[in-house]
Amino acid sequence: MRIILVGFGVVGQSFAQLLAARSPDLLKNHGLRPRLVAVVDRGGAAVNSRGLEPLRTLAAKREKGSVAADGENGRPGLTPLEVIEKVGAEVVVEVTPTNIADAEPGITHIKAALKSGKHVITTNKGPLALAFPALMELADYNGVLLRFSGCVGGGTPILEFARRCLLGDRIMSFRGILNGTTNYILSQMTERGWSFQEALKGAQEAGYAEADPSMDVDGYDAACKLVIMANWILNRKAVLGDVKIEGIRGITQHAIKEALRRGRKIKLLASADGNLVVSPQEVPVGHPLCVDGVLNAVSFMSEYAGEETLIGRGAGGKETASAVLRDLILIRQSIAKIPV
Amino acid sequence: MKFGGTSLADGDCISRACGIVVDSLKGGNKLALVVSAMADVTDELVEACRSAEVGNRSFIRNTVVELRQLHESACRVSVTDKHLRNEVKKTVEESLKELENVLEGITYLKEVTPKIEDYVLSFGERLSAPIVWGALRSRGVDAEWFTGKEAGIVTDSNFGDAKPLMEMTVHQVKDRLQKLYEGGIVPVVAGFIAADQEGRITTLGRGGSDYTATILGCALAVDEVWFWTDVDGLMTTDPAVEPSAKTIRKLSYQEALEMAFFGAKALHPKAIELVMERGIPLRIRNTFNPQDPGTAIKADQEVEPSSVAKAISLIPKVAIITVSGAGMVGAPSVASKLFEVLGRKKVNVLMISQGSSEANISFAVPRESLDEVLNTLELSLLGGKYVREIKAEEDACIVALVGAGMQGTPGVAARIFSAVAREKINIRMIAQGSSELNISFVVKEAEGEKTVRALHREFNLGGK
Repeated sequence: MRIILVGFGVVGQSFAQLLAARSPDLLKNHGLRPRLVAVVDRGGAAVNSRGLEPLRTLAAKREKGSVAADGENGRPGLTPLEVIEKVGAEVVVEVTPTNIADAEPGITHIKAALKSGKHVITTNKGPLALAFPALMELADYNGVLLRFSGCVGGGTPILEFARRCLLGDRIMSFRGILNGTTNYILSQMTERGWSFQEALKGAQEAGYAEADPSMDVDGYDAACKLVIMANWILNRKAVLGDVKIEGIRGITQHAIKEALRRGRKIKLLASADGNLVVSPQEVPVGHPLCVDGVLNAVSFMSEYAGEETLIGRGAGGKETASAVLRDLILIRQSIAKIPV
Repeated sequence: MKFGGTSLADGDCISRACGIVVDSLKGGNKLALVVSAMADVTDELVEACRSAEVGNRSFIRNTVVELRQLHESACRVSVTDKHLRNEVKKTVEESLKELENVLEGITYLKEVTPKIEDYVLSFGERLSAPIVWGALRSRGVDAEWFTGKEAGIVTDSNFGDAKPLMEMTVHQVKDRLQKLYEGGIVPVVAGFIAADQEGRITTLGRGGSDYTATILGCALAVDEVWFWTDVDGLMTTDPAVEPSAKTIRKLSYQEALEMAFFGAKALHPKAIELVMERGIPLRIRNTFNPQDPGTAIKADQEVEPSSVAKAISLIPKVAIITVSGAGMVGAPSVASKLFEVLGRKKVNVLMISQGSSEANISFAVPRESLDEVLNTLELSLLGGKYVREIKAEEDACIVALVGAGMQGTPGVAARIFSAVAREKINIRMIAQGSSELNISFVVKEAEGEKTVRALHREFNLGGK
């Protein structure tokens, strides 16, 4: 299967490493022989219709700053759109950074890939948060798949669990902690008695929070994931504008201590139950959702099976790359089922 | 608001339409406009395509000259600002040049594919929209004009009768028009035309401007969609047949859909379906009589079925074909074969009826397709062991009675048939949808109008 990889940051590089490391196993167990035919980053592209050597492309990136330096495969200045439209491939893996203002450049990449009849795997939450129903329609119309396991829960198969494991049951609502960074900050505030600012600084030093932490602490990251889950799991045609969002900047030590006195902890919860809401809520200590550190947790209320909670690490390059691989295997399986 | 072709027939009409827009804006409304091609322009373009196909260059030249005259004079009258007028004229001239080149190209290729035809037809709206834009700007209205493609309407690649990819369209239209619209700038969108995902021009089929209007209405989440046309609204029946026919004030979406299927030319069924899903009220109004409130089309519960029937339509020039044979009893393959043949020939079947004895199936088709249908059926069905005979009657017409009040009201059929019987008119074939929103039946062509009048009286539709 020929793959175009657009975006070569942490997730993209982890994915390339994963392909290199897992290729014998993928072939043996899944009948999947992935060929990375193009990798695109800001400096240009590396293209080889027979398949690049992932390790060599990784080395070019590491040593010379761009995949365009990958010897005879290098194509400096080639844009993602040109690659998506002109290079023959079955799948485009879109892992450029999330942008929730206008979802660019990811949304343009995804549209172009779907239009040219390529399956798409993305970990980019912006396009899905702003235009989930539209992109799904475009994928259906062109008879290809659009998958995004890596967008929610990283390596933890939250989306799959809801759609496949609870098949036949009906999920009525769900709520959960969808953002590891804010959970880390809130946990530190609770355990160490730090102020929000101190805890944020700690999280930045530990590498859990970005220099500009607003995506996380203002609740947008959780809201994006909520939108994706509402569409995918509840068939709700929602976009980011439909979510009521409140972040954690206003959480004080006083509020945390008050909650603890009543046996509760403050968590940033995303919930889909009628309305879509992201806001700090009190969760009883001992409740399955009450997890600490960078962990994520989601509880599904289903009509017959009742409440089920999934806990796992939310993010990280390797975890997310493994979710991309999971999507890739899934696409491979569904291609095999479609008679050509 | 959508303005139909007759509401934009010349410069004066365009000025009148702009007056309506200005008044509405003064009333504090936010507006988005959809405009059709000027009256008859689309038909002229279709004809130009046909002539180009057979290499008739002089006809093309004449068409372009006529179109230039029509649009320039409309521009002269309605675009009062001199500076704007020059700008609009330039746009119109560029489009006309392009049109002439395309038609010229067709004379060489001697072929008009649906894709090319869509491209040619798109010029109707591409010519009218900038004039309306200029006319609005001349009156101090802040406006911007768009083709359907620029507005973000994206469809499948079924040229000639394309369907929008609705979610993608909503996303793109919001992206491109919402800020303008919310900010009080009036987007003027060329109706009927759109583009597929590759950006090639498509059209939304007959009455496509209605469709454009409801698409925009849904994308911009408007409170109401208004169609401005040249009649006060939907009528109880054709006033040419029954002079006492009245404008219907209120209809449910379902009733409107039934009427659209029965040929109410002011309506596009797909357009109604869209607003129905989202519960956006639709209003049909008359540009030449803007005082009249027109016809309001709303959700079912808001429309009380005060009378049993709301409207009577007449579909003239119909033929009935009856396929019979004792062998057809209990042989479902005949029906499937029959409709497969009709489907392959793309015949529009207007009505179907089969008695439960199964010994015959009758159906109604437009008369112009009778000869072809009849011969095709004879070739494929006769000679087997099931079908003995295929008969046709060509002097028929369909009369349809529409109204939600018929639902669950016993005795409606009895009233219809006794009213018709009193006129000594023989009913040839009957069908009622199980929705009970309409009853349709076939009578002899010559008796069609008489039937309509009798029913109009019976149900007191001209009343008060």
